Amino acid sequence: MTEPSPTLAPPEHASGAGFTRTLINKPEVGPLVLLVVMLVVFTAINPAFISITNIGNALTFTVELGLIALAMTLLMTAGEFDLSVGSVFGFAPVVMWTLFNEAALPLSVAFLVAILVALLIGLINGLFVTRMRIPSFLVTLGMLLVVRGTALWLTDGFPQRTWKADDQWLSGVLVGEFHVGSLRLYMSLIWFILLAVMFHYILTRTRFGNWIQATGGNPIAARNRGVPTGRVKTILFMLSAAMAAFAGIISSIRVSAANPNSGTGYELEVIAMVVIGGTALAGGRGTIIGTVLGVLILRLMRNGIVLIGVPGLAYNIFIGAIILGMMALHAALERRHNAGD
Amino acid sequence: MAETEAPLVEMRNIQKYYGRVHALRDVNLRIKRGEIVGLLGDNGAGKSTLIKVLSGAVPYTSGQIFINGQEVNLRSTNDAIAAGIETIYQDSALIPQLSIARNLFLGRELRKGPGFMDRLDLDRMNEVAASLLKRVGISKKIPPTTAIGSLSGGERQAVAIARAMYFDSDLIILDEPTNNLGVAETQGVLRFVREARDTGHSCIFIAHNIHHVFQVVDRMVVMRRGAVVADDLSPRTSSIQDVEDIITGEHAA
Repeated sequence: MTEPSPTLAPPEHASGAGFTRTLINKPEVGPLVLLVVMLVVFTAINPAFISITNIGNALTFTVELGLIALAMTLLMTAGEFDLSVGSVFGFAPVVMWTLFNEAALPLSVAFLVAILVALLIGLINGLFVTRMRIPSFLVTLGMLLVVRGTALWLTDGFPQRTWKADDQWLSGVLVGEFHVGSLRLYMSLIWFILLAVMFHYILTRTRFGNWIQATGGNPIAARNRGVPTGRVKTILFMLSAAMAAFAGIISSIRVSAANPNSGTGYELEVIAMVVIGGTALAGGRGTIIGTVLGVLILRLMRNGIVLIGVPGLAYNIFIGAIILGMMALHAALERRHNAGD
Repeated sequence: MAETEAPLVEMRNIQKYYGRVHALRDVNLRIKRGEIVGLLGDNGAGKSTLIKVLSGAVPYTSGQIFINGQEVNLRSTNDAIAAGIETIYQDSALIPQLSIARNLFLGRELRKGPGFMDRLDLDRMNEVAASLLKRVGISKKIPPTTAIGSLSGGERQAVAIARAMYFDSDLIILDEPTNNLGVAETQGVLRFVREARDTGHSCIFIAHNIHHVFQVVDRMVVMRRGAVVADDLSPRTSSIQDVEDIITGEHAA
């Protein structure tokens, strides 16, 4: 049989592997199903799970890790990750409150300095990874120790006082309370929503987003097309550090303490949120919607498990099982996808 | 061809050292407008180094490059693209996760709205991609939003070549474009290369398969140990055996 037009291998795009294809093209479907199942199961066992107070509380904690997860999604889509976010989360508020308390700087100036320091940390991460070609795992692991060590050394290991913050306009803007009916919410939730929308827009609708995906998908091809992959990665490392600092500062104002140890272990929890949401660990494909779902899944799991009477110490068992389950799902979909080539 | 007309690309006395390795020895190469040149040579003969120099990916140690008679200084792939040289590397031309349209415009994305919004004009990119796909004869059943990862090897090469043609590159460099392709797909790619020439593009065609080269090129250049050993072989006057002998260095010259 001769084919009329030789370039055309018979396309199977039209073939009806409908549901699988939807799952592949929309990596958010898996986590969405999981989230709904969780909500139903937790509510069925303990109706208090869906109560106004509980939702308000859960959302408050959710956004602080969520802010970091948003930036981590972009960074991982570009094919890198950042283990130093947890230490920056602890370090930035220490910098801010030390400047405010000891150097008597206005809080807004101290805030800006803390963010600038974080940007510098991110810049160093980015330059080590892109210029010296050292894997981000090693670079950011080293940075984690340097930053955490600096925070401990600056404070002698003691938390910084923050309690003159109440009358500061900045703390109102960042974490001020407001009520929707009887639901008590913090301003930080508004920031999270705004930033999630913005990051989604960046990733899916802008040229920079196209470059992020190209950088993670096939760096050599991207460079051949004139995409400045090194600059893209460096910017994202800076963004990731700045968002970690922002989240840490919000957290310190909310709990009225800048503890140099806070944020320990956050890096892994954040990466877990991102991959559960469907972003590929190897880069090239990322989804902010999936990350928001991943953030909700892990946080509501932590909250729900306690409410339904599972010992809190067993939390990690469930998180680990979810990660393994979701990875198995994504890998299976990926394999079917490739087999269909 | 008129002797007086400046060649599209001229490389003069190009030398390249990797440390103490002499990768290119005094290479001279001229490509005329609308000409398909096959670049042949064994592994390590210097083909890919020469291509990397011409596409701006690797700096050369000494020598000169002229495009349309003007001396140029290619310091990056962007310089080469701006000078009208498009290189299509095997397996590394496209981003599998991105759509056809996003790949076509990668690095030269169309945007709309105010600059700080950095907003892609996806509608127009998809529109242009769809008409381009139709023009180059890729199945109409493939929408431009399809991810490259779900295309076949031949379709991917076609997209990469279509991109070079759309952006009016004067010279398209194809690095092993028929590698790992089936018979029908190979014919498709070769047809594409002829089409590119007929619309006024020049091509440098690198392939291990001499049969493929013979089917499509006007002239063959053979390299051995970093030097050009023949640059005027015509598929009409030379046999495949002749060319193979020159590649391996077994001819008496």
